[in-house]
Amino acid sequence: MKILNARRINTIVSMIGYLFVWAPIVVLAIFSFNASAYGVKWESLTIKWYVDLFHTPEIMQAVLRSLLIASITTIFATAIGTLAGYGLYKYKFAGRRFLRMSVLLPITVPYVIMAGALLVYFTRIVHIPLGYPAIIIAHISFSAPLAVFVTLGRMQRINWSLEEASVDLGANTLTTWRKVTIPLLLPAIFASAVLIFPWSFNDFTVTYFVAGVGTTTLPLYLFSMLEYSLKPVLINAISLIFIIMPILLIMLIYLSKARTKHGS
Amino acid sequence: MVAAKNDMKRKTHLHLLPTVGPITIWIFFFVFAPVAVIVAISFFATGSGGEILPRLSLENYRLLLFGGSEYPRAVIRSILYALVTNLICLGIGYPMAFWISKYGGKFKALLLFLVIVPSWSCYIVRIYALKQLVGYPGILNDFLLNLGLISSPINILYTPAAVVLGLIYIWLPFMVLPIYASLEGINPSLLEASLDLGATPQWQFLTITLPLTKGGIFGGAILTFIPALGDWLVPLLIGGNRVWMAGNLIEHYLVVRGKIAMASSMAVILTATVVLLIYVFIKLGGEESMERIV
Repeated sequence: MKILNARRINTIVSMIGYLFVWAPIVVLAIFSFNASAYGVKWESLTIKWYVDLFHTPEIMQAVLRSLLIASITTIFATAIGTLAGYGLYKYKFAGRRFLRMSVLLPITVPYVIMAGALLVYFTRIVHIPLGYPAIIIAHISFSAPLAVFVTLGRMQRINWSLEEASVDLGANTLTTWRKVTIPLLLPAIFASAVLIFPWSFNDFTVTYFVAGVGTTTLPLYLFSMLEYSLKPVLINAISLIFIIMPILLIMLIYLSKARTKHGS
Repeated sequence: MVAAKNDMKRKTHLHLLPTVGPITIWIFFFVFAPVAVIVAISFFATGSGGEILPRLSLENYRLLLFGGSEYPRAVIRSILYALVTNLICLGIGYPMAFWISKYGGKFKALLLFLVIVPSWSCYIVRIYALKQLVGYPGILNDFLLNLGLISSPINILYTPAAVVLGLIYIWLPFMVLPIYASLEGINPSLLEASLDLGATPQWQFLTITLPLTKGGIFGGAILTFIPALGDWLVPLLIGGNRVWMAGNLIEHYLVVRGKIAMASSMAVILTATVVLLIYVFIKLGGEESMERIV
């Protein structure tokens, strides 16, 4: 009887947790189809806000900017991070532990501080122009560590004897990399990219500090809409199309992959 | 033999350059250097117009700590909010992780995914969604008023409680993950043995499960306490301009007022606090709490 109670309380608390995490997003999604422009009262069903969205050039520009930044960041951060993860796993060298700890630094120090430090560094010391260059450099600093740890986490599960076999059979380093190592690393590369792209696309704090004037990404645009309370319903529509849908898609891809792997 | 060993060594060095080389250079120029710069700036004197003078001084720190500045209070407030956030996240997150691990069955991956997925979406959107649901005017208020369950709207926005609610909402998933990993790492034969030896489920939980998940708990504490401590968007968007945390003051001095030296000193104080707290958490939670972060 007592077990049943403990179990029931456990289940109830967990359900409250799920409800708390999901309710605001689900309600936001539902209200993006609400005809009332300002109210929180439900009026009637409409898709007018979605049509509006595609007819607002500033929003479309912001989306394109965010996509561009996220794409470049993903390519560079994934490359640097995956290579580093591979090297950290494969080779023993002086300063290995220190490097591992250092990679953690940008994600453990509060974002405001790292982003503020980058702003001061870019404007006062190295004179990197704010805007695209600054945003992309800053994004790589924050997201390459994600790729490092994703790769490190997956390294144990990879069968490295294939790489040794390739060397034993006389392939040179470059061929081994091209034909064996990179294919073996592909799942790690994919997992890193899937994590980094949305991170960069959705980042607000880091972009806010180093964007300067004119490089308004989607999160910055959303922020200004919120600050000046412009068209709240449009915000709902933006959220659903550009932020929640892609994430659900990634989740579906992930789950279907997990299932096929389980089946085979 | 020695020659072979040297050869091995040279080969390793040859491979190090293209693999860990790029990130080392990147971290040096775009992580260490910026941090070093603000640490250095924080020890320079500031002129009357806010310009940085080429003279070393502790003036910024003296002003911040003993000059009647609001910063020490903001730091203490941040620690307090982060602590409450952390404890409530533990209170909800531990049962969630336990429930998924114990009763999840073949849906474990999906259930865990459902916890993490919202944290992938945009921070601004999540705070806005929460604000729209529980704020006033807000959907929940409207709903309750219509049902007649409340007679006047409840407005929690712009209060410390709202800020803490926002922080919990944002950081809860990061508590569930490390605890779940810890729970999954427990050797099931230990649990069987304790039952065989006559332990009740409650006793088993207190003497076996809880101590063995210490690493996960402190790993989760690092992942929720530290970002909550440095947060500035939740207080800005949910707390209005009324409840300022340390991060808000840093942003305000750096971006709005352009007082770089002062902002740098604030950043150094906050970073020192964070480093100290991480050290304490790792000491309390053991090596495992480090592993559970990454």
